[in-house]
Order: sequence, then structure tokens, then C-alpha cells
Amino acid sequence: MNTLVPLVVLVPLLGAAIALIAARLPRLQVAVTILALTAVLAISVVLLVLVDRNGGHAVEVGGWPAPYGIVLVVDRLAALMLLVSSIVLLAVLIFSVGQGMADGDDETPVSIYHPTYLILAAGVFNAFIAGDLFNLYVGFEILLVASYVLLTLGGTAERIRAGVTYIVVSLVSSLLFLAAIGMIYGALGTVNIAQISERLIEIPPDVQLILHIMLLVAFGIKAAIFPLSFWLPDSYPTAPAPVTAVFAGLLTKVGVYAILRTETVMFPTDQLSTPLMIVAALTMIIGILGAVAQADIKRLLSFTLVSHIGYMIFGIALNTVIGMTATIYYVVHHIVVQTTLFLASGLIERRGGSTSINQLGGLLKASPFIGVLFFIPAMNLGGIPPFSGFIGKVALFVSGAEQGTPLIYALLAAGAATSLLTLYALARVWNMAFWRSKDEVEDYKSPLLDQLSERPGGTDTVQRTRATPLLMSGATTAMVGVSLALTVFAGPIYAFADRAGESLAGTNGYVDTVYPNGIPDGAP
Amino acid sequence: MLAVLGAFLVVSLAIPVLSRRVRLPLFLIAALIPAAAFVHALTVAPRVLAGEEIIESVPWISALDITLTMRMDTLAWLLVLVVSGVGALVLLYCARYFAASEDGLGRFAAILLAFAGVMYGLVLSDDVFVLYVFWEATSVFSYLLIGHYTGKSASRGAALQALLVTTAGGLVMLIGIVILAQLAGTTSLAAIVEQPPAGPLATVGVMLLLIGALSKSALVPFHFWLPAAMAAPTPVSAYLHAAAMVKAGIYLVARLAPGFAEYPGWRVLLVSIGVVTMLVGGWRALKQFDLKLVLAYGTVSQLGFLTVVVGYGTRDAALAGVALLLAHALFKATLFLAVGIIDSRAGTRDLRKLSGLGRAAPVLAVVSALAVSSMVGLPPLLGFVAKEAVFTAFLTDALAGSATGWVALGGVALGSVLTVAYSARFLWGAFANKQGVEQTRPARKPADFATAPVILAVVSLAGGLLSDPLGTWLEGYADTLPAWSSGALASGSVPDEVEPYHLALWHGLEPALGISALTLLLGCLLFWKRDAVFAAQSRVPARIDAAKSYWAAMRAIDRTAARTTAATQRGSLPVYLGVILLVLVVAVGSALTLNRSWPQAPVLWDHPGQLAVAVLMAVGAIAAARATKRFEAVVLVGVTGYGMAALFAIQGAPDLAITQVLIETVTLVAFVLVLRRLPVRLGEKHESVHRGARAAIGIAVGLLMATVAMVALGSRVADPISLELPRMASEGGHGDNVVNVLLVDVRAWDTLGEVAVLIVAATGVASLIFLDRRTDNLPRLVDGPRRRGLFGALVQGSTEPRVRAGSDGPSMPLRNAIRDDEDSSRLPWLLAGRTLAPENRSILLEVVVRLLFHSLIVVSVYLLFAGHNLPGGGFAGGLVAGLALVARYLAGGRYELAIAAPIDAGRVLGLGLVFAVGTATVPLIFGADALTSTWFDDAVPFFGQVEFVTSTFFDVGVYLIVVGLVLDVLRSLGAEVDRQQEEENDSSGAQPTAAEESGSRV
Repeated sequence: MNTLVPLVVLVPLLGAAIALIAARLPRLQVAVTILALTAVLAISVVLLVLVDRNGGHAVEVGGWPAPYGIVLVVDRLAALMLLVSSIVLLAVLIFSVGQGMADGDDETPVSIYHPTYLILAAGVFNAFIAGDLFNLYVGFEILLVASYVLLTLGGTAERIRAGVTYIVVSLVSSLLFLAAIGMIYGALGTVNIAQISERLIEIPPDVQLILHIMLLVAFGIKAAIFPLSFWLPDSYPTAPAPVTAVFAGLLTKVGVYAILRTETVMFPTDQLSTPLMIVAALTMIIGILGAVAQADIKRLLSFTLVSHIGYMIFGIALNTVIGMTATIYYVVHHIVVQTTLFLASGLIERRGGSTSINQLGGLLKASPFIGVLFFIPAMNLGGIPPFSGFIGKVALFVSGAEQGTPLIYALLAAGAATSLLTLYALARVWNMAFWRSKDEVEDYKSPLLDQLSERPGGTDTVQRTRATPLLMSGATTAMVGVSLALTVFAGPIYAFADRAGESLAGTNGYVDTVYPNGIPDGAP
Repeated sequence: MLAVLGAFLVVSLAIPVLSRRVRLPLFLIAALIPAAAFVHALTVAPRVLAGEEIIESVPWISALDITLTMRMDTLAWLLVLVVSGVGALVLLYCARYFAASEDGLGRFAAILLAFAGVMYGLVLSDDVFVLYVFWEATSVFSYLLIGHYTGKSASRGAALQALLVTTAGGLVMLIGIVILAQLAGTTSLAAIVEQPPAGPLATVGVMLLLIGALSKSALVPFHFWLPAAMAAPTPVSAYLHAAAMVKAGIYLVARLAPGFAEYPGWRVLLVSIGVVTMLVGGWRALKQFDLKLVLAYGTVSQLGFLTVVVGYGTRDAALAGVALLLAHALFKATLFLAVGIIDSRAGTRDLRKLSGLGRAAPVLAVVSALAVSSMVGLPPLLGFVAKEAVFTAFLTDALAGSATGWVALGGVALGSVLTVAYSARFLWGAFANKQGVEQTRPARKPADFATAPVILAVVSLAGGLLSDPLGTWLEGYADTLPAWSSGALASGSVPDEVEPYHLALWHGLEPALGISALTLLLGCLLFWKRDAVFAAQSRVPARIDAAKSYWAAMRAIDRTAARTTAATQRGSLPVYLGVILLVLVVAVGSALTLNRSWPQAPVLWDHPGQLAVAVLMAVGAIAAARATKRFEAVVLVGVTGYGMAALFAIQGAPDLAITQVLIETVTLVAFVLVLRRLPVRLGEKHESVHRGARAAIGIAVGLLMATVAMVALGSRVADPISLELPRMASEGGHGDNVVNVLLVDVRAWDTLGEVAVLIVAATGVASLIFLDRRTDNLPRLVDGPRRRGLFGALVQGSTEPRVRAGSDGPSMPLRNAIRDDEDSSRLPWLLAGRTLAPENRSILLEVVVRLLFHSLIVVSVYLLFAGHNLPGGGFAGGLVAGLALVARYLAGGRYELAIAAPIDAGRVLGLGLVFAVGTATVPLIFGADALTSTWFDDAVPFFGQVEFVTSTFFDVGVYLIVVGLVLDVLRSLGAEVDRQQEEENDSSGAQPTAAEESGSRV
């Protein structure tokens, strides 16, 4: 364990180093990147099994004991996130390799893309295992800076414009996070998460509340919670398809993960439950209304991404073990399904030459297989059973009904409405892009399309349509397979999420993992 | 049962694959599965009818108590027979209905079969959530089937409409299910019905559930989706929209009635909505000209009828209800299939264009007549038996004192009159000879086209004749309900002993028979006077058009969505930032106003110098925000940075101060390099957020942070961990410089992350400037044969640089330099003499820099190694070396830079990362924790006693990465931008602008 845990970060970094040195050997770069992520995937599987059997594990980096040094903590939740994110990263990588081999590397230039992608991966992995608030910040920085580079690949005017919004907002969120860490250190004299949890109860609750809100605002920007979410739909859709896929799947979820840790380990009180629930409802509704108003599939999906973050915030706000369990399952589901849908829209873009439903048509006839690859995750995101979106939704609803306050029922109603509107937006895409024949597209009039807005700065022209390379559709198929596995193996997966939810707090929880013998009083 | 379900799944998945080889026989293969389900249900019939429940169960999500439980009782058994029997016949029919050449047959067959499968699962599920799974699955398959003719926009619109209406109802139902399951503490449908939870919340839950059932079964006000769904191929209409899917709602009502019929609102809701639906449907059916639409509205009407009967909740009504359900499935499927044949043979379904078809297609006419007889309730068909039972059940309960019973009886009687009228209209429209209409000449089709409707019609007849045993079987379900409604019981006039009703063809001259006869008579009258009725109908305006309301609702949603999004998604960064900061101010601010833990004696500063620096920084920051020129803004931002260095110095952290100063300097250089390419003045002020508002937000955030800091620091009770660090650094880390030990040892993991950030930042800069590569950006005078990568040749264009240093049309002096260079074999000491235009040179600077360069590099290496105990370290060292490179570049231009550092920046970065990661990884090999440091203290010849800590390797990595970063920035923002600028100047011949002038002079 002590060896394996740091490797999830070190292996991608080493891969990045090799990729940088081997800048002129693109095949080697590709091989190294795939190898590194495969290795992390294997390590994650081992960690998951070990942690599930033996309970959480904390590694003291450099042998420096907590709270002085940095601890890396792998509990069930962290191991699950590692596994899911490494699967997603690997699938997207293979997709982009397929795209690069077919097109040359205009969209994903090898010498820049691969090292940056690996460093992004390292950042994501580090954020999941950080047992130290400042190290969590470092993890965020790694993945954010890497995402700046990936978002602006190719340097087109549209991407630079989107990049400016994204980078400035992210910097503000990092600044707020850093300030919050400063304040927390000021109040508690430590940045070790487990020790924060212990020391926090010693200070007055009103000061706790202030620190709590500061952290949540910082994380809320990263997780794209309304009204801190406006940056997301303006920035994500412009990036190359694989980049958007991995951003949409993982980056906001790192924010959600941080909020989960905040609410369970550091600030386990329910002092912010009610505001969080209101914010969750607004995120769902405003977000999905945004999706309904879009003609561009990628932008539409970005809005659904924001909207469904609301479900997870709702689950966290419930502040119960079953609520956390439902949230964990929903996070996993959402990572997988959003990534899959963005990959599928990448395929649509290649085959149809556009991602605007005003321009697309006849895709079902042109490629029934892409149809299947889009339809299944679309229904999944729309919460249609038996897919994982439905299971997650039901789990959240059941957790909510257990408390059964009027506010919670209002949230259930908001959740149901969101689900319906998600289905509406996606079924409309299916109607137009897949069912409608290509000849109908010209001068098409439908009341359903009247109010739709195109992506700002998006091109109206339809690009040349191209065949989809096997690696691209293969990677997408694999992701669809993973999403179906979330249904077929829902029993064991949900049971694991249940155990993960239970071990977040309380006995055998996070703090005990870091300090099995209690927090040391003096120096080692 | 689970095995049958599995077979449905597997064969559905296999059909698209098979469809490449076989076309129409696909449907026959598909029909085998529902046929097997039918046979299976028959084989278990004796057990089920004896009252046994057959249960199969597989756990699915045990943490949520969701299990795949299939439970077959009488009600489920009956529906399985309907669903699988009609399903098999419809699939059989498809094999003749479609042409082998049609598109999408494989898809259609697979989806239709899958639909049959989920319908099978729906009626058997005992787990409420699993029931919901199948319930929604039917919606999705129905969506795909209605939209089968993908090229027609009407099909697509109808499909979407059906999906949204039924899913909306479904989601309402889901919340109801969640509530009921929560209250009952179980997910088993049987257990919930057995012991229904009580209380107002349970009533709400049941009502929500009913809304789902009503939307699925197309009752008012959700009825409009069903006629629109007739855009589907006729077999779909026959199966989904007559026999199976629309029955799901009725099934659910029937399933829940034993437990919930006496809940407040249940009976009133179902009877009133059912009656209204029956009348609306019948009324509309009379107006239709398309035979399929006559049937569709007829189905709406009949579903209303069924809801009244099944939802009424007494034993006799329930018995009548299930019989009616069976009868309706049989006759309505027959009629749809018959219409499909008419359409296929005559080429139209418009009853104004059909004439004389009765004589031309006698079999079809007889089959239709049988089915219609069952629909209107003529003996000896099943429909008659069921209708008699309905009238008797309502009449008995009404006579016992139930007001609702009277309403139900009156409603269904009136509805039956309409039913008779539109049934007659259908039969007449399809088969009669009409004056002035050209005789229809039907095309010939294989005789077995009519197999399925013939079988169904025969079963309708047989059902009537065998109603006695049939009734006995169905009593297994009906007996679970009470004999009387609460209304009847409350009136107190309930007879003590009553013979339970049995289904039979002949009950004697009963009142029900009279009602039947009356409705038939009035219905026929209505049909006879059809012209007058039609005229009357067209005078009554359709005041409420549910379909229009649907479109209005969709438009309203779209409009709300568009407006909300336009209001929130402004596309303006200042607005987004304003909102974020406002949220911070409001959220933290309100927490602060509630705060009562204020520090008693806040320490405002440790040293008065801090205040002076802070004021200076604040002034610098405000001035930077107000600056109008870019360069001015950059310098003012620098003030805050240097101020920060001063604060570090005052606080006693020389390391940090030095590093901060070096960083500020490098940043300034980078800024200036970039500014060369940007306009001098800052862009137009963004007016999307008012100036005053921006200032207010800024000031508020500043004050907020200061206050929070004061409160946070004031509330500290525990000792900070930093108190222990100096001792730990020297004992554990073998260094006296705490900051350095912290960076490269105690918190080296952070540093590792931060150097990764640096690498990505450098890569990002290179990416933006070079766009697609970071290699080969080295401007060289001697451009030797370019080495291609090992695999480079295989990936087209990736190593072929878009821009080459030597071939990009440099300015004249440069070109001369290159030529000179090709002549001479060695480079001159001051390269700029050849590569820079004379007006851009400063010989003095060049000489000084050349002389200082090596000393600076030595200093940087010293800082690197001294850092462990004295101020310095890899970061500071790297920055000094970087500054040395900066100086070379500034003095001598980009070719000078290439000579000073003839290596690829990416490789330096990569190498640095290898050092850093290596230091972290190597201890793992020896079984220690990552990044564990160890130390040597030994006598080395010539050097004396040397202490060496392995974490120094880490610092070497940091050093290399910092150097690589600076190099990358210089290459990209310096050299490459120079080159692009020269290229532009060359091509346009334009004079350098003021910005470029000032830039190249810095």
C-alpha cells in the first residue's frame, strides 16, 4: 500500500517526463501515455480491493508523520474515484489517439497533448488522495493549469476567448481556496484534513460557519454550482472533443469530491444543509433550462452537466449516510455518462460535420452504430431505467424521502422536472440529428427549434464529414459498456458505495484512517 | 418467468444482427418468444388458478432493497396471456404487413420484441422500482416505434409527445412510489397492497401514482398523445396503443385497487376522469374520417370506461373490469389489424373514399363485424358478457346507496351509446356501399395476412361462449376486493346476504339487459341520424384542446428556457466574476453579521513596516486596476509583487523574499515580451458591469477578507504545527534552512506538484505560440539535416516544422549573417554582430552580459547546493540561471539565446521532472515511503567533510525545471515572437509600431 498509493501520481508524472524528453518520437509518446494510464488503472483496481478488504490507508510521504508532513489517504471513496477516473482518462486517451492517427495531430498535437494530459491525470489523482488541504490545492492547480493548456490547444480565436473566461474564473476560485486555506491555518494552525476535523470543534461555531462558507464558495466554482456555474458552458464546448469529454466527466467532479470531503470530514455539521438544498434545486432547474435552449449538442451537454451537479449537491446536503451513498453512486454514474456523451458527440461531429441540431440530419441512416452509442447514454442521462442515471436518481429520492421535509419534497419535484427536461433536450437531438433525413435540414421549420440559440462564435458551416476510425468508436463503445456495467452490477457497486459512504465519517472513518492511534500531542 | 424475460432480451439483441441475412422471417423468429411466454403461462395456469402465486426472485440492488421479483397471480396471469398472445399474433402479422425491401426492419422487429418483453416484465414485477423500470422502458420503446417512419415530421413529433407525456406522468409516479415504499417499509407491491400505509402522505403518494397511470393510459387530460401516436405503423397501434401499453395504467389501477380503493379521492377521481374520458373519446370518434383515428379515439373512450370499472373498487366491478380488459384487448387489436389490411389493400383509410369493401373482402368484413359486436356488447361475444357485468355491478352498488355508483352507471351507459354510434360508423365506413363513391378495388394479398385478426376475433367469440369458466378463473382476483363501496356501506341499506356475481352469457331478464338494449337502441339512432349529429358537432366549438395545450406548454418551456439562459448566461467575464464575488460577499458577509466571536485584542501588525508595505501594495493594486496602458498596469502589478517580497523579508523569510523578487523579475520580462505584440492601451472598458458596482464589489471583498482573517486568527486555540518544524528540519531533514527542507523534504510532495504546474505552464506557453509542437523551436544558424524521429516518418507532418528558423525570410542583415556563417566554420564571440540590425544593438551590454553569464550560472549552482542550510535552493538557483539566459537574449537576440542554451526546453523540463519523480520513486524500491530522504556525511578527497542529503537530487530537478521554464518562455514569447514580427515586417514592409519599438528596446 505504501508503495502503490504514491505511484498513482508518480507514474503519470514520470510518463509526462518521458513524453517531454521523447518529444520527437510521437509513437513512443503515445505508448508511454497509454502505458502510464493503464498502470494507474491496474494500481487502482488493486487499491480498491485492498482498501475494501482492510479499510482505509494513509501514507506519510517521505516518512514525515502527520500532521507535519503530507499524508495521502486512500479510503473506499478515494479508491473508487481513482478507478473510475483512470478508466475515463484511458478511454478518452484512446479516443484521441484514434482521432490523431486519422487526422494528423491538429486537434491533439502529440508533443503538447500527451505530457499535458498525463499531468492533468496526475493532478486529478492527487486531488483524490490528498489528505492535506494544501496538497489538495496543489492537486487542483496541477489539473487546472493542465486544463488551461488543453482548452486552448490550437489557439483558435474561439478557444482563446473561452480560455480567458475559464482561466480567469479558475484563478479566482484558486485564490479563494488559497485564502480559505490561509484562514483555516490561521484559526486552527494546521492544514491536515483529519486534524482540521479534530480541531474545528474547539473553535466557536460562528467562526466554523465562516470558514465553511469560504471553502464551499471556492469548491462551488470548481464544481459549477449555480450561480457560480456560468463560466462552464461558455468554455467547455469549444475545446477538442476528447478534451471536453474528460473535462466534463472529471473536473467538476473533483470539485464535488472536495465538497463531499468538506461536508463529511471537515464540517460534518448540518449548518449549511438548507442553503445547499436551495442552491441544488436552482442548479438543477436553471441548468437544465439552459440545456433546453441550446441547438449545439456540446453546449447542451455542458448545461446538463451543470444541472446534474445539483443532484449531487442535494445528496450531500441531506447529510446522511444513505444520502452520501447515493451521491457517490451518482458521481460515478455522471462521470461515466457525461464522458460517453461527449465522446459520442465527437463521433457525431465527425460523421455529421457539425454539432448543431439545426445542421444535422440523417445520422441514423448514415451510421446506426453511432445512433446506439448516442441513444443509450442519452437515455441514461435522461434518467430512463434501467440505466445508472435512473438508479442514482431513485437512490437520491429514496434518501430524501427518508427525511421527508417539505423542502426535500420540493427538491424531489425539481429533480423529477430536471429529469424530464433532460430527456426532452436529448430526445429532441435524437429527433433532429438522427431521425430527420438529410434532405429535410434545409429551411426546416419546427416550433421545437424556434427558441434555440447556437453556440456563441460557433460556426454555421458544416464541415467535411469523415469516417470514424475504429479506435474512436471503440473507445466510445467501451465507455457505453462501462455505463451499462453500472446497471448490471448495480448491486455490488451500490453495496460498495454504501460501505464507502459509511466509512466517510464516524468510527473507522477518515480521521481514524489517518490517526489510527489518535492524534499525537507532541512532536515525533 | 425470468428465463422468458432473458429470452426476450437475448433475441431482441440478436435480431439486428440477423436482419442482414433474413428479412421478413425475422418476425416469425421474434414471434416465437412471446408464443413461448404464452405457452408457459398456460402450463402454469392450473397452479395460478388454484390460488397459488408463482414467485421468482433475483437480487439486484440489495442496499436499496430492489430485487428482480416476478410474481404471477391471477391478474398477472391474465395480463401475461393478453400481452404475449396478442404480441405473438402482431409479430406474425408484421411478416405480411411490411415489404421485405423496407428500411429499418431489423430495428423495428427488435424493438417490437423488446417491447413485448418489457410489457411481460411490467405485469409480473412485484418490486415497485422494477415495475417502474419496465414502465419507463415501454415509454422509450413506444417512442422509438411511433417514430419508426423517421422521415415524417409528424411521426417524430408524435413520438416525442408520447414520450414526454408518459415520462412526465412516470416521474410523478416515481415520487409516489418512493413515498409509498418509504411509508410501507417495503418495495414489494403485493406487501404494499396487503398492508397499505395510512395517513395523508400515503394518500398523496397514491394520487401521484394514479397520475402516472392516467398519463400512461391516455386519460383526460393526457389523452391527446394517443391519437397522435397513430403515426406509427399499424401493428404498433394494434399492440402498444390498444392491447398492451395503454393497459399498463389500467393494470396498475387494478393492482392497487384492493388496497387503496377506499382512500380519500381514489374513487371520485377515477370515476369522474374515467367518465369524462369515455365521453370525450366517444364524441371525438364520431367526428373522424380516418378509420384508424376512429379506433384511436374509440380506444381513448374505452380506456376511460375501463378506468371507471377497474377503479371502482368493489368485487363485482373488479370482475367486470378484468373481463372488459380482456375483451377490449381482443376486439381492439382485431380492428386495428383489420384497418392495417384495409390500408394495405385499398391504399386508403379514409372512410369517405372506401366503398363496397364488404363484398370485395368478405373475410375481413366478418372478422371486423365480430369484433365490433364485441365492442358494442352484442351477445354472444365477450364484450356483451363484460358489459352486462359492469351494469349490474354499478347498479347493485348504486341501489345499495352509493351516489358514485349512480354517476358511474349513468356515465358508462351514456358512453356506451356513443360507443355503439362510432362502432356502427366504423363498420359502415369501412365496408358499406356508399352512394356516389367509386367502388374500392382492393389489391390482392396473401390470404394468411388475416390470420392474426381471425384468431383474435374467434377468441372474442369463444370468450363469450365460455364466459362461465372464464369468470370462475378471474374471480381469483375479484375476490380480493370488498363487496360494497364505502358509499353504499355508509348509507346503511346494504343487503345482508348477496349472491356474488358470476360471468355468464345469460343472466335472465335483468335490468342490466335493459340498459344494454337501451344503449344499443340510442346508439343506432345516433348513427342513423349521423348527418344531423355531425352538423351539431361542428357547431360546438372545441373549447379545450389538450393537444394545443401541449404545444403551448412546450413553447412556454422553450421560451422560459431561452429567457432564463439569456439572462444568466451573459457571455461576459466581468459579470461572471461579479456574481462569484457577490456570492462570496453575501454568503460570508451574512455569516460575519451573525458572528459573535470577535477577537478581544486584535494584533494589527507585528512591525510598522508591514503597514507601510501594505499601504503601498494596496495603492499599487488600485492604480493597476485604473491603469490605461498595459505596460503601466504590468509595472504596477509588479509593485504588489515586490511588496510581497518585502513582507516576507520583514517576517524573517529571506528565502521567500529572494525567490519572490526573482519571480517578479522573470514575470516582468515575460510580460514585456508579450506586450510587444499587444496594443499599447488597454481595451475599451467593459461596461457590462457598472464601474461603481465593480468598485463596490472590490472594496467589499477586500474588507471581507481582512475581517475574516482577523476573526480566524483571533479564534485560534491550538498551537500551529509550524512550531515543531525547525527542530524537525534539522533533526529529520539535516538542513538548517527550514524553508528549503520544507520544500524539498517535508512537503516535497507539494513541490513535486508545483513543478508539474510549471512544466505545464511552460508547455502551454509554447502551445499557444507554436500551436502544434514544442520541439524544433530552436532558432539555429546552422540548420543541419533535421533528424526525424524513429517513428516520425510514419506520422505525417508531425516532425515537419511549420516554421523553420533558417527558411522564413529573415531581414537582410540576418540573411547575410547566415550566408557568412555558412562560409566560416566557427561562430563569432558576439553573434549579434551578424544577426541583429545595428540600430537594435548595444555592444556594451552584449560584452557585459557575456562576461557576467558564466558567473551567474556558477552563482545559481551555488544557490542550488547551498540551499539546504542557507538561503537559496533549487528554485532560486534556477531563477538566477534563467535570468542569466534572459540577459543573453535581451542583449544579443534569439540567435544568442540559441548559443547560450543549445538544448530543447522541453527536454530540460522532462529531465528535471525525471530527477524530481526519481527522488520520489527510488525510496519505494527500498521499501521506504515515497520521497524519503537519506543523507551521507563523509570525508571526500579535496573537499573535506561533506554532508549530502538525497533530497538535493529533488532540488536539482526543481532547478532544471525552472531553467527549462524560463528557456521555454524566452523561446516562445521572445524568439518566436521576434521571428513572427520580422516575418510580418518583411512581408508588409511596415515600420515597427511604437509598441514593437519599445518592446525590442527593453
